[in-house]
Amino acid sequence: MNETVVLKKKEGIVKKPIFTEKKSYRPVNVKETGLAFIGHEISDDGNAMNQFLHYDQLYTIRHGWNSKFFIGLLEGKIWGTRCPKCGDTWVPVRTHCWNLDCNLEKTEWVEMPLNAKVHTWTIAGWSGRSSLKRLPIILVYAVIGESKVAIANELHGVKPWNVEFDMPLKIVFKPKEDRIGVVTDFHFEPADGWESSPTNKEKERIKELVEPVYRWVKTLE
Amino acid sequence: MSRKVCIVGGATTPFDYGPTGFESIEGGAAECIRETRKDIPEFSMRDIDLMIYSHFSVHFGHQLCSEWIIHDHLGLVGVPHYRVENGGNTGGSALYAAALAVMSGHHDVVGVVGWETMDSVSQSQGSEFIAMASDIRYELMVGGIYPIYYAAMANKWMKDNNVTEEDVATISAKNRNNAMDNPKAQWYRNEHKYITVEDVMNSRLISYPIKKYDCCLMSRGVAFVLVCSEEYAKKVNPDGYVTIDGMGLSSCTIRAGDRLNFPGWTERYGPGYPEMTEFGACRNAADRAYKMAGIENPLKEIDFGEIHDAFSTSEAQIYKALYLTDENNIAQFLRDKTTHMYGEIPMNPGGGLMGYGHPVGATGLMSMIECFYQLSGMIPKKHLSKKTEVPDPECGIVNSHAGTGTSISNFIIRRV
Repeated sequence: MNETVVLKKKEGIVKKPIFTEKKSYRPVNVKETGLAFIGHEISDDGNAMNQFLHYDQLYTIRHGWNSKFFIGLLEGKIWGTRCPKCGDTWVPVRTHCWNLDCNLEKTEWVEMPLNAKVHTWTIAGWSGRSSLKRLPIILVYAVIGESKVAIANELHGVKPWNVEFDMPLKIVFKPKEDRIGVVTDFHFEPADGWESSPTNKEKERIKELVEPVYRWVKTLE
Repeated sequence: MSRKVCIVGGATTPFDYGPTGFESIEGGAAECIRETRKDIPEFSMRDIDLMIYSHFSVHFGHQLCSEWIIHDHLGLVGVPHYRVENGGNTGGSALYAAALAVMSGHHDVVGVVGWETMDSVSQSQGSEFIAMASDIRYELMVGGIYPIYYAAMANKWMKDNNVTEEDVATISAKNRNNAMDNPKAQWYRNEHKYITVEDVMNSRLISYPIKKYDCCLMSRGVAFVLVCSEEYAKKVNPDGYVTIDGMGLSSCTIRAGDRLNFPGWTERYGPGYPEMTEFGACRNAADRAYKMAGIENPLKEIDFGEIHDAFSTSEAQIYKALYLTDENNIAQFLRDKTTHMYGEIPMNPGGGLMGYGHPVGATGLMSMIECFYQLSGMIPKKHLSKKTEVPDPECGIVNSHAGTGTSISNFIIRRV
């Protein structure tokens, strides 16, 4: 880990990061208005009132010791961490080892290969407001390289009914200019040479379930 | 246990999305306590010596420290109070805190009030707020809502255990149909219909293999439970009080993918458990609760349960985590309808989260209240009929569940 950002009060030494690379990709119509009562409604019998409170807050997520992972995404790299004592490796990263016998040993950064394997999967036909137009989404939990844990991300390049357990994957990054340092800068795709298995009863069932989703998403345009 | 912990009463407001009839949280809390006082008139507000408040999200509550509004509305200035928050297991954790307070001997009569006002935002915004209880740095923008994480876990679990969509759909139909006998239940108050496995199978895809009717409801609601010493219980409700004979609280990873190979699980249960598919925290909390209550064969010794059916699939996963069945028998366990009203161990006769509703901070309390009603013989008074009354129960289990299985509590409750 980067020791230079540790606060050393006794010596009066505080090396604060100086942020020189700044980017904003905030939609133009989003404005921080703070807290405001912006309207109300009253029922026809005069017994019930609803009031509308608007609250829009910009948060700063300080990635601190995890920063290398997110900066790595901008550079098209997947960084993991490894415990120098027990050798366990993780993506998502841990800055200290999870093994109690390692007594919170600080971990070291390791660049991970851009391949993975599906551990489990689902096909989303509904999601949060910000993702509705992208439905249906194939979400997989996949193990990258020798990681001890699985990471969630989307699988592209395959029909929803063709995703399979244990299928080999490659990690594909967005074009450099579109990356913003978040996990959606990359997604999974089937590894080169992988072919889906023949259709079966479950695949037919999934088709039946996702077809209305495709139709519904078109109505959102 | 150093001192016996009892429950003597409790009530909820109706659960709903939109108007419930008790739309201010402090008004709802007051009405829950008034209903409890009708059931046990010897209980006086002056008896309460600690209040614990159970509330999940300020995002839904749009008010920091909203428990302070409730507390002084109840006239309880000077009585100590604090809030417990632990995701979907907020209610279970608040009850755990109340039980510890009584067990320690430091408090005698502890009121627990839980609530959530999830209808203060749209359903899709509410789903995003709940997803903020995932690790937002890694998971908020991939998947984005809890049903997707649960579906990914359930999909592999169902394959590994030979459980089908139809098998878990029996749970969705069971809980909603049970709620049709419960006038405070959100399903009764809104959709108000009996449904079949076919209806569940035909409901819209949320995230394969989970459909709309496999999911619980987003709700507004308030609940109150009165936890106390046995001395007090004998004074106010000598014929109807129940005892918390066992309780366990346990934890698991925030990101479901991190529970593969976690050393803390491997050393407890061996390699490969809980994988990404089992609820390790549920099993661990059950181990603690069963040991404390002296339960050796849960299927035989527990008569019924009120458990956290956030999804039909998770109720099935919970059966296994609670040792009611195993990987060789779970599919048949479901096909035999073992947990239906006429089965060996009815689960969620009150309707559960899919039928009664899931106003997060009130949910674990609702489960405890339904369990209490069953054990104290109050179902004919609280439900519409005896259809959802468990015949002559002596022991119930209450389960409350957070995150993707990140915090789970289990309580063994017995009739005295």
